[in-house]
Amino acid sequence: MSKAHDMGGRLDSRRIDIASSDVKFKADWEKEVFAITLALGFSSLWNLDRSRYARESIEPNDYLQFGYFEKWLAGLINLLGENGIIKVGTESEDNFKKSSFRVLEAKNVKKLLHMGGPTKRDSTTEKNYNLGETVSVRANNSNTKVEKGHTRLPDYVKGRTGKVIAYHGSHVFPDANAHFLGESPEALYSIEFKSQDLWGKCEHIEDTVVVDLWESYLEKFK
Amino acid sequence: MKKDNLKQFYKDFPSNPDARVKALKSILEKEGLIDQKALDEILDTYQNKVGPLNGAKIVAKAWANKKFKEDLINNTDQVLKDMDLNGRQGEHVVVVENTETVHNLIVCTLCSCYPWPLLGLPPSWYKSDAYRSRAVREPRAVLSDFNVKLPISKKVKVWDSTSEIRYLVLPQQPPSSKGLSENELVSWVTRDSMIGTGFPKPPIGE
Repeated sequence: MSKAHDMGGRLDSRRIDIASSDVKFKADWEKEVFAITLALGFSSLWNLDRSRYARESIEPNDYLQFGYFEKWLAGLINLLGENGIIKVGTESEDNFKKSSFRVLEAKNVKKLLHMGGPTKRDSTTEKNYNLGETVSVRANNSNTKVEKGHTRLPDYVKGRTGKVIAYHGSHVFPDANAHFLGESPEALYSIEFKSQDLWGKCEHIEDTVVVDLWESYLEKFK
Repeated sequence: MKKDNLKQFYKDFPSNPDARVKALKSILEKEGLIDQKALDEILDTYQNKVGPLNGAKIVAKAWANKKFKEDLINNTDQVLKDMDLNGRQGEHVVVVENTETVHNLIVCTLCSCYPWPLLGLPPSWYKSDAYRSRAVREPRAVLSDFNVKLPISKKVKVWDSTSEIRYLVLPQQPPSSKGLSENELVSWVTRDSMIGTGFPKPPIGE
């Protein structure tokens, strides 16, 4: 059973309502959530993978019912909670060192947004697959180090076979980084799958889906 | 195997999102952890400064200049850096070109990754469950929601943004726009044509 956030290929009969949903923000509070989340992201108390994990970890019913920025908001509160910044109930952490917290100043916003957070690393890591090679995806898409941990291996490609169409160098490995187990960079590839191989029935025999996958998500095709 | 006990602190906050943000903000302000001016600057950036016009300029330039197009596709990050169009959520970009035989479509099934420096923030339909679920399984049905019909001669290639690589579609130049200047071409490039859910079209009034 895939996690709530892992939506690729889930049967959904809803039309995409373009006319009513072509907006960036639906309410002012969404703007607040967006800006606060970005600002606190620069505090260096967590990383992008951690914040994705925090959003994915909100209760599944809430995940499916919440709007996009409600998910961001709940995830952010959980991150602040684990860092002892927010104290509620008996579960509170007492680990916040205010002196080491970097408050984002207006004068640094432009520079920091422009800099972003590149994930490509110079390190040479194991690379077992070549362009054009047929590869298999691991049959199990659970995080291998952390119980119910973060992964960027979508359920719909697990155990499937595709072809390497690009190699992107070594990138920070989300499955480790989201749990503060280090960046553990791994080779990153784009793998192209035939839609027919993914879904059985497909709209057009030639159609394909390309998914970016890390070294340890893949296995030699046998 | 390790455990990660991220707790559900949000449950102790008001459930109404507006009230929930206010409660959170008052804590952060009391602790001095946010600077309102910085928040305003972030919003100003993504509401007024960064948007699909950035992507449109690149596409128009690629249409007008074959050498630039090759550079853009083969050496994307350097080209974007030289044009000052790199940044958060666009640190690593791949440009995928539509041709007579391939139509590209971009999605992020796991969250809502999108090339911010080139297209701005995503519209809400891009973040919807329906788009995230359906785009990989039935892209042509999704496209018909956008009134986009593809000939049988074209294959659809869907790009699921599962890593920090961000994708931008380089749409085909409409034949009726051939011969126009790079500047004139910019207004033909729609945001949706760079996601793959639309085509370039003449600017309104022409």
